[in-house]
Amino acid sequence: MRKVRRAARALFSMRAALAILLLLILACVAGSVIPQGEIAAYYESAYPGRAGWLILLLGLDDVFHCAWFAILTAFLCANLLGCNLLRFPALIRRTRTGFTPERCLSRWDGEAQVETAGAPDALFRRMGFGRVRALRDGEGRECRYAVRNRIGAWGAWLTHLGMLIVILGFALGQMFAVSYSVYGVPGQTKAVGDTGYELTIDDFEVGLRDDETVEQYTARLTLTDTRSGNRTSGEASVNHPLKRFGMKLYQNSTGWAADVRVWRGEELTQQAVLCAGEQLAVEDMEGLVLAFNAFYPDYATDASGAPYTASSRLNNPAYLYTLYYQGRVLGMNALPAGERITVEDCSIAFDAPRSYTLIQIKRDPFTWLAGVGGGVLLLALFVAFYLRTEELWAVRREDGSWAVAGRSAKGGALFQEKLKRLAKQTGRPKE
Amino acid sequence: MGNPMLVRAESALFYATMALYLASMALYFTFFALKRERLGKLAGWALLAGFAAHTGALAVRGVCAGRLPLSNQYEFATSFAWGISLCALIFLWCFRFRALGAFITPVIFLVIGYAALQSREIRSLMPALQSNWLAVHVSTAIIAYGAFGVSFAVSAMYLLRERMEGSAIWREYVPEREKLDLISYRAVALGFLFLTFVIITGAIWAESAWGSYWSWDPKETWALITWFIYAIYLHLRVSRGWHGRAAAIFAAVGFVCVIFTYIGVNTLIPGIHSYA
Ligand code: HEM
Repeated sequence: MRKVRRAARALFSMRAALAILLLLILACVAGSVIPQGEIAAYYESAYPGRAGWLILLLGLDDVFHCAWFAILTAFLCANLLGCNLLRFPALIRRTRTGFTPERCLSRWDGEAQVETAGAPDALFRRMGFGRVRALRDGEGRECRYAVRNRIGAWGAWLTHLGMLIVILGFALGQMFAVSYSVYGVPGQTKAVGDTGYELTIDDFEVGLRDDETVEQYTARLTLTDTRSGNRTSGEASVNHPLKRFGMKLYQNSTGWAADVRVWRGEELTQQAVLCAGEQLAVEDMEGLVLAFNAFYPDYATDASGAPYTASSRLNNPAYLYTLYYQGRVLGMNALPAGERITVEDCSIAFDAPRSYTLIQIKRDPFTWLAGVGGGVLLLALFVAFYLRTEELWAVRREDGSWAVAGRSAKGGALFQEKLKRLAKQTGRPKE
Repeated sequence: MGNPMLVRAESALFYATMALYLASMALYFTFFALKRERLGKLAGWALLAGFAAHTGALAVRGVCAGRLPLSNQYEFATSFAWGISLCALIFLWCFRFRALGAFITPVIFLVIGYAALQSREIRSLMPALQSNWLAVHVSTAIIAYGAFGVSFAVSAMYLLRERMEGSAIWREYVPEREKLDLISYRAVALGFLFLTFVIITGAIWAESAWGSYWSWDPKETWALITWFIYAIYLHLRVSRGWHGRAAAIFAAVGFVCVIFTYIGVNTLIPGIHSYA
């Protein structure tokens, strides 16, 4: 039993807390310096010798989601919880009975002290003590006592609680949050993963300023519950997600899309909307795949022949494509609008370039919990740092002068200095 | 973009600010080296005048851009220097020890010098950056970083105080170590509270802009590292045997992290925040 208790003490000790924080710092440094989430071959080639192998072995390629990081965070939580539980009874006792005139009036050694010629009530006020108790001590002498910010003793405790709530909210979010993305052009309707909802993109607008920089991306969306038939519409723009059916819809990014048509001879055989970056398998000719690599609204080439767009207006549209046949590159080119790619009797053309939108759909049922934790944390830090518990007490001596003493949690020499300064300012410090 | 007259006014105020900060630094050094109280007083006034010119420069830029001047490397660097000046003035006034000026003005001058090297072009904000939360996020970062700048200067004094025990100037003008420790703690406390607020408002903004309040982006991660370092500082202060020197070292390291979070992350590690 004693061993268990000793182990618990060690685990919940400040030293353990500092060690955990240091390890977390190291993990964070690794996670920010080493590119995360790449494939294994990347680390083996990018890092010389055994470094790449070590990175993979230690999980440093995905630090924030690896097991030891989770274990470390669990240790931090255990430590925070343990530390708070261990200190709880003492804190309660301290708040209830720790601040009494009796305790203070018998305590003068080592405390900040001044003497005043008359009653120190003004000094008490200037020191920020509103409610001052006038009483007599065991020897019948006139006394004063005041205490303020008793809650201050709870600052650290509440900070740790806030931290625990934040971590809990974040961890639950990691476990239960879901995220889907849907992209398309106005008029398209697509399923939102396996949620049973369908998203229709009614409209998508890229708002430009006079200098042609983008001011805002706005999508008008309709979300339909395919099970009940309920539908609801609204607008999502950057920084203003749309909240519907307990989900949040974010205007996440955009790009170019175009209609692609395929003809066999003069007969139209296939038609699709293709976003830049997507591929299309030509149905009529097995093994033929068209990749729509990029779109240039105002096509131009630089001195080295590399393509770029001179403006964001549709002055000289061109479609960069690659054509594959049986996995091999058949051709690659920038196709001007209105022209066709021809392969035997098959021809392909791009048309109607327009912006597509990528909508991210998220549901995190625990964001509020992390938010509450954050709020508690902020309040608690304010309590810990700015509501310092302070006591001030005074006794009237036989010669009519008063001895005043005080103590401040975390105030130390500064509190003492303030007491001396204000004693001087309030007038009658004893000569 | 921007009215040319206002742009020129901003430029003039900015250079006046630099000159005044430089003068303040030189005066503080001379005061500290020669024990000339009057020069110390003058240095304080130069710092205050520099701060006023700096506030003017930022206000003019804000009017020019039609928003808070907090959106690119230049704007944030100059605001960062403004934050340190503000906190320095507050601490100089509250704790009445002039020698702090000799240690804090070089930090201010370095940061504003870095700002002077950045492009001053006013650019329109991309949609993700048009957010009130972001404005609160960055404004509070200035105060947090400013307070950490002060704690860095005071901790440096703490660490040097040990070696300068024999120097009459140090004994006369620099408070005892216990007091330095408490002042540094007050600065860290202010910075820590604000940094927490910065991280929380940043998370709120990220949630509304990117759909996720925490995504381990390098800038976020480094803000967290800084936060952890100062948390260690706070705990070292309450641990027996560790407070004092070890805590002061952590406060100094914390500020190096602050600088890295601000400059290093943008230039060395790419991420969502790279445009900031
Ligand atoms: C990220 C995690 C943590 C944060 C942000 C944090 C934050 C704080 C803060 C702000 C204070 C108040 C300091 C002051 O008033 O000067 C404090 C005090 C303290 N912390 Fe933590 N803490 C953390 C983890 C821990 C852990 C794991 C332990 C477990 C041993 C611990 C033990 C303590 C103790 C014993 C105090 C002193 C309490 C007092 O003076 O009343 N902390 N902490």
